Amino acid sequence: MAMVMDLGFPSFESFDYTTTTTTTTTTTTTTSSTDEGCNWSDWSPVVDWNEISGDQDFQNLIDSMIDENVVIHQSIRPIDDDDQIHEAEYNNSSPEYNMAMQDEAGSAEDSKGLRLIHLLMATAEAMAGRDECRGLARVILVRLKELVSPTYGTNMERLAAYFGDALQASLDAGAGGRLAPGAAEHHRADVLAAFQLLQDMSPYVKFGHFTANQAILEAVANDRRVHIVDYDIMEGIQWASLMQALVSRKDGPPAPHLRITAVSRSGTGRRSFGTVQETGRRLTAFAASIGQPFSFHQCRLDADETFRPTSLKLVRGEALVFNCMLHLPHFSHRAPDSIASFLSGAGTLNPRLITLVEEEMAPPSEGGFVGRFMDLLHHFSTVYDSLEAGFPMQSRARALVERVFLGPRIMESVGRIYRGRETEEGCSWGQWLGAVGFRPVSISFANHCQAKLLLGLYNDGYRVEELTTNKLVLGWKSRRLLSASIWTSQDCDL
Amino acid sequence: MFHPKKPSSMTSHERPMCVQGDSGLVLTTDPKPRLRWTVELHERFVDAVTQLGGPDKATPKTIMRVMGVKGLTLYHLKSHLQKFRLGKQPHKDFNDHSMKDASSLDLQRNNASSSGMMGRSMNEMQMEVNRRLHEQLEVQRHLQLRIEAHGKYMQTILEKACQTVLAGDGSGSYNKSTATAPDFAQTLSFPSLQDLNIYGSSEHLESLHHQSMERESFIPVSDNFLGKKRSVQYTTPSSGKSPLIWADDLRLQELGPADDQIDSVSDIYETKPMLSGDHEKKYEAKMDRPSPPRRAAAISAGGMQQGRSSPFG
Repeated sequence: MAMVMDLGFPSFESFDYTTTTTTTTTTTTTTSSTDEGCNWSDWSPVVDWNEISGDQDFQNLIDSMIDENVVIHQSIRPIDDDDQIHEAEYNNSSPEYNMAMQDEAGSAEDSKGLRLIHLLMATAEAMAGRDECRGLARVILVRLKELVSPTYGTNMERLAAYFGDALQASLDAGAGGRLAPGAAEHHRADVLAAFQLLQDMSPYVKFGHFTANQAILEAVANDRRVHIVDYDIMEGIQWASLMQALVSRKDGPPAPHLRITAVSRSGTGRRSFGTVQETGRRLTAFAASIGQPFSFHQCRLDADETFRPTSLKLVRGEALVFNCMLHLPHFSHRAPDSIASFLSGAGTLNPRLITLVEEEMAPPSEGGFVGRFMDLLHHFSTVYDSLEAGFPMQSRARALVERVFLGPRIMESVGRIYRGRETEEGCSWGQWLGAVGFRPVSISFANHCQAKLLLGLYNDGYRVEELTTNKLVLGWKSRRLLSASIWTSQDCDL
Repeated sequence: MFHPKKPSSMTSHERPMCVQGDSGLVLTTDPKPRLRWTVELHERFVDAVTQLGGPDKATPKTIMRVMGVKGLTLYHLKSHLQKFRLGKQPHKDFNDHSMKDASSLDLQRNNASSSGMMGRSMNEMQMEVNRRLHEQLEVQRHLQLRIEAHGKYMQTILEKACQTVLAGDGSGSYNKSTATAPDFAQTLSFPSLQDLNIYGSSEHLESLHHQSMERESFIPVSDNFLGKKRSVQYTTPSSGKSPLIWADDLRLQELGPADDQIDSVSDIYETKPMLSGDHEKKYEAKMDRPSPPRRAAAISAGGMQQGRSSPFG
């Protein structure tokens, strides 16, 4: 099939697709290697195909990965005599494999899910290896694509579709290059619909916003002027509830003046000057409707998205708060340098408070790219599960949210770990803040209590835990998903 | 009635489960004989539920089987289970905190180690517990208001977006949506959370469940984006309250994504899985579901979990 030829496997010079059709069949019937006249030993000597396929042909190998009855014992990439490092990763006793095998091995759908995981894992392993294996990775991805679709099927199938696309994009972009600028810009109505749905289906959005707001309220209890610098204001919905709380606060000076500076970027898109201005208008109108003294400003980032503290307009005597929301649906695929410049710029101004909400990932394990990839897979499969629990029947609605928010997120995350696979992955932003000298601020009883009550409005599977004194973590069942942490600068007395 | 003060006792001592209807049920002598949930019967109930893995996993049928009490009908169990579930939820944290603080004060009391101070510490402990309870109630109240504000703001976003869409597009395909937009405008009044009374009594929550059921059978307005014409049908909410915030979503869908994958507005709130090419859908008037009623996604009060776990668990 022409499709396969277009993939272009540069390293397999002696590949001759016209003589073999083994890789292009869509049936799962096995065919012996000699049927189509394909003699493996004729192929590139760099690749030890016999090692890979044993006495079966390539197609059979892939089918064996798909066939639920066959357990993979063979390694699927060429192994030199002295290259034993990755052997363990293929071992069936790997933790991910066991974890996958233990749960729900019975039903057909779950076994298909397992097969998909195998395929994804195999692709990741191939990609983590030497260049010769990139071709293998592409082939597996082709097969994967045939099995899944981003909009239909079970959670695992849709998830596998997105991860497959992400891996494909990473492959195409090459090891060093940047990912092509994300998915197509979504129709604004789509984004709004997905945003509304995301909020209704899960507490992700509200958890981050409310926790941060409560911490801010407590920190500015006695202030007349409050200035908040928001890294990614989006529609500004976080501040609606803060304003309501400020207006109705009983202790401290009544009706404190709230000033919000939103960070905006050049160009078009969700964070452009025009969009942010629209948000500002909306916030101003809302504030007026509830009687909250309010003013709105913008602060432009440089062309390279660096934040310059000097471009902020400050007023003497105001309580300064920096708000950094990096979780869904805020897009975080801006350069980490930008976020770093924002947070370190904040440090130079000695803010009263820094509120940070980010996704909680497991610490980077020794598994390298594959380990981090499986962790990502676990993370997002948990997110999918939690959304399904909230909206069990409306898979189309979930598909929309997945398309608008989760898919791009997956794409970006996979790209990030793929690019960084040679170097050690950085720590979370929370750890970074701690390391550069910010002090943690304890989460109050009221804040914790509010989080618990909020989660109580959603599915029982959500949990909140106080991981450290200054960090609340939202999790689904046993997996941590989101963390909200509160910091202050060294000089402030809180 | 289920008493909230009593912690859901997961008793550890062994209790034979397969009792053959020995304890006769206590029925009142009202004209309508109603089952009285005595303490003992309730204990059996709680044990059975625990054995089955918690109130969310247990079903009336399995509970009935496990309890093995003669004369106990599914109907009794259904309502009792529902009350049990609802009763658990708002007091979950209640118990957590009061227990936690009580135990921490307990430590302090031991440190005091003087019998004279015992009395005073008891009072302190009580006061501390009371304080925490009050704080918790405050938090509840504030949360309610904040969620309301959040929702009101969300509405301004949607309204503005709808306006810009309607204003911007003069083509014929939007005629229907402009006609129906006023309808939606009425139903979009964001119900104050006081109405929903999340933390309130079970009657309200039951009506909430009714509303959530209607949400599923709520048939949305035609999506004109793809030029399909469908009639607008509303099922009348039996509780008399306006539809919940889901009305927002439906109007959102009216704005319509210009994407084939969401090829129909109604797909968003389909009541059963749809096949891809199937545009001639049948609308189910009302979804028939046995109790317990379905959980509303945004407002839940201890319903059952429905997600199927992935291999990752």
